[in-house]
Amino acid sequence: MTETLLEIDHLSVDYETGRGDLNALRDITFNINKGEIVGIVGESGCGKSTLISSILRLTAPNTRFREGEIRFKGQDLLQAPERHMRDLRGADISIVFQDPMQTHNPVLTIGQQMLDIQHRSKQSKADKLAHAAKMLGAVGIPDPEARLKQYPHEFSGGMRQRIAIAMALMSEPDLLIADEPTTALDATLEVQIIERLQELQREFHCAILFISHHLGVIAELCDRVVVMYAGAVVESGDVREIFHNPKHPYTRRLIECDPGHIKERARVLPTIPGEVPDLANLPGGCIFRDRCDQAMAQCASDVPPLDQLKEGHHAACWLNHEEATT
Amino acid sequence: MSLLNVVDLHTSYGPVNVLAGVSFTVQPGETYALVGESGSGKTTVIRAIAGLAPAQDGSVTFEGQEIRGAPEKVMRPLRKDMAMMFQDPVGSLSPRLTIRSLITEPYRIQGMKDKDLDAEAKRLLEMVNLPTHFADRYPYQLSGGQARRVGVARALALEPKLILADEPTAGLDVSVQGELLNLLNDLRERLGLAMVIITHNLSVVRHVADRMGIMYLGRLVEEGTTETIFNNPRHPYTRCLLSANPEPDPDARLERIALKGEPPSLLKRPSGCEFRERCPFAKDICTQTPEWEVDGGHGLRCLAPLPQ
Amino acid sequence: MEKSRSELGQIIIGVARDPLGLMGLIIVGIIVFCAIFAAWIVPYDPIAMDIKSRMQGPSAAHLLGTDQLGRDTFSRVIAGGQVALKVALPAVFGAMAIGLTLGMIAGYGPKWLDNLLMLFFDTIRSFPTVMFALAVVALVGPSLQTVVFVVMATSIPTYGRVARTQTLTLRNSEFILAERSMGASMSRILGVHMLPNIIGVLAVLAAMDIPTVIALEAGLSFLGLGVKPPTPSWGALLKDGYSLIRQTPWLVVGGGLPIILATLGFTFLGESLRDVVDPKLRKQR
Repeated sequence: MTETLLEIDHLSVDYETGRGDLNALRDITFNINKGEIVGIVGESGCGKSTLISSILRLTAPNTRFREGEIRFKGQDLLQAPERHMRDLRGADISIVFQDPMQTHNPVLTIGQQMLDIQHRSKQSKADKLAHAAKMLGAVGIPDPEARLKQYPHEFSGGMRQRIAIAMALMSEPDLLIADEPTTALDATLEVQIIERLQELQREFHCAILFISHHLGVIAELCDRVVVMYAGAVVESGDVREIFHNPKHPYTRRLIECDPGHIKERARVLPTIPGEVPDLANLPGGCIFRDRCDQAMAQCASDVPPLDQLKEGHHAACWLNHEEATT
Repeated sequence: MSLLNVVDLHTSYGPVNVLAGVSFTVQPGETYALVGESGSGKTTVIRAIAGLAPAQDGSVTFEGQEIRGAPEKVMRPLRKDMAMMFQDPVGSLSPRLTIRSLITEPYRIQGMKDKDLDAEAKRLLEMVNLPTHFADRYPYQLSGGQARRVGVARALALEPKLILADEPTAGLDVSVQGELLNLLNDLRERLGLAMVIITHNLSVVRHVADRMGIMYLGRLVEEGTTETIFNNPRHPYTRCLLSANPEPDPDARLERIALKGEPPSLLKRPSGCEFRERCPFAKDICTQTPEWEVDGGHGLRCLAPLPQ
Repeated sequence: MEKSRSELGQIIIGVARDPLGLMGLIIVGIIVFCAIFAAWIVPYDPIAMDIKSRMQGPSAAHLLGTDQLGRDTFSRVIAGGQVALKVALPAVFGAMAIGLTLGMIAGYGPKWLDNLLMLFFDTIRSFPTVMFALAVVALVGPSLQTVVFVVMATSIPTYGRVARTQTLTLRNSEFILAERSMGASMSRILGVHMLPNIIGVLAVLAAMDIPTVIALEAGLSFLGLGVKPPTPSWGALLKDGYSLIRQTPWLVVGGGLPIILATLGFTFLGESLRDVVDPKLRKQR
């Protein structure tokens, strides 16, 4: 029943910089099943953007894939020829970006842009336009036929983001990557987008990789969650496990910090003091140790492995190492 | 006497009237939050108060003195008592200046030459819990949270009576956001300063604001103490905003009141109640224009309010 | 002061790391060095005539030969470089300073002042440089100062427009709003906060402009409108060289080569400087 769509297998990615190699991603392992919504949670500098560009293989020239594989339907994308990647992008894997104001070409009508992305299809122009209008209708744009003739600036931010989603779903991809698609929007619009994504996912059965730093959104939308910190996966598991039974101190503290979680007015809100470590000059041992209130001697010397604690629940922390099943 | 008194403030850019009569007051030491969707005019309100945006009509009094449209000559001495914080933590710092120059800028602008600026820089950095060697850094070398602290230090340099803060937690990670709010809460208590804070993040409002006003299309639609608004919102728009706040709990399926569509264009304001077309609770009476009514400190602009 | 020096140091290091930039730096360095120490480098007085040894080819005594009056071409090339820089540097930096000031005022000041200054810029720009030069020379006669004036006047609008555009973009940025909210005066906003963010772009423009000005000076001198003889100038060398090209081709080489080198040197330097100063361009590399 559960068929794996994307497997990220021990992926390590470096950036070559003037200060030496920056270990942007280290030993990332997780997978996405067909039709599943997986959320990636992480704060600035956790490596979310590097991960997305690695999956699409749209990385900066100074990127080096040090180790690991990214398998999409069993094929390693890091070894695939560029032509194959071009066929994949926008057809089997599509992406919705954070900023709805900059995603669209300002000098072309929405209809023209939606025609252009169907260039692989052999349908007639009229059919393509009808398809475009149908997709706009599906993301809740009223009067889609008329709106196809309009330019991006004639739409509001929320509408543009919905159009971006419509465009990403036009080719009926197997995987939709949503990179902080609601961050630039108001809470009310954010809710509209999430609900729309949920509906569309049920309709199109695509898997979604949803990246956000907003825990509330992740909790509401995702089936499974991957928590990243400073270029590594610190915990991954079922959304309920992650939110109700977090096994990594970072996950736990992050949930505690979210003010949406604190109902009573608090004089002092919880925080995680300290800074993310310098990725070009990583300290030994656990990367979270300096900010962790439960750090032990072992945390300074050895990097904790990503242990499986339960079926599908992994955490990289020495505190759980005893109870690990593998 | 209230510290800040805004009465019926109007701002138009050509045919677009961004502010269509905003009134509120802030007492000394009080934190007042302005909440609303983008385009509701929140930012224009505080910029108009600070004289950075035009205001064609209405009145703004600060400590009893009228300052709407006042020339810079009148404003400059008052700016000692009124400081601003902007949305972009790094972008609101002049990029070619060191942190030392940035946080002591207010002294230089106000012509306080007798101050020992190095000592002041050190004092301010310590106040916002930044290491003192940060004085020699440049804005681009700081993280969002650190740059935000520099912004706070600069705003507090002259010990103002009022801070106007535009989305002070925007662009900050959750783990750092709390630090900033704690810092603001702490400094506010110690220095007794008042704040007007603009945000669309309602979870933040709950922890910092004493009173709050909800804006829609350049007008307040509801106002009251933070507690009453959160516990018993009377205006349907407030209710929708509060329910549109996803909680970090996968099982919290709260009854969400879907807000239909998006805010109407300011060029085509709807007749009657301007929220009518999006309102899930609209009644026939809502085709009439609601007036602002105050009952026991709770202001409301609605003809069909939700029950108490 | 400490700060700006280290920043300048970083820029120079950045330029030197780029092969083209390094080449530009070396060429410009040699030209500037020769111009400053011209009096010690030249083997002969550049305007001293020696009729007996006229129109000679290169030899140990005369590295680039001599002209029709027996003047040493090498000495005239070196001294001509001095003249070229005497025209180019004041003209370019003068134009930059004036253009920058006017441009920032246009970009930050009230709308009517902006309109007025733009009208002024457009008026100047509508004069063709050479025609304008002809008119000025006809009025006051050819001289080094005239060339400097003409070049400066005609390039002010270029700097002014760039400075204005930059100011307009910065004007609504949050850090300028923040300064206004603290009550900073217009002169403080322009001088302390805008200037450091604009000057880099203009410096690049100026570096790229210097070869144009050198070529213009040469061109005007070639036409007999520039520096008066017997003062050596690369343009004058070329002019003499063309009429004597059948007898002695070395004059054209002597006049042409430094112009080409100076153009390349300053252009390389300018382009490299642009990449170093503008981090956005650097990242795209």
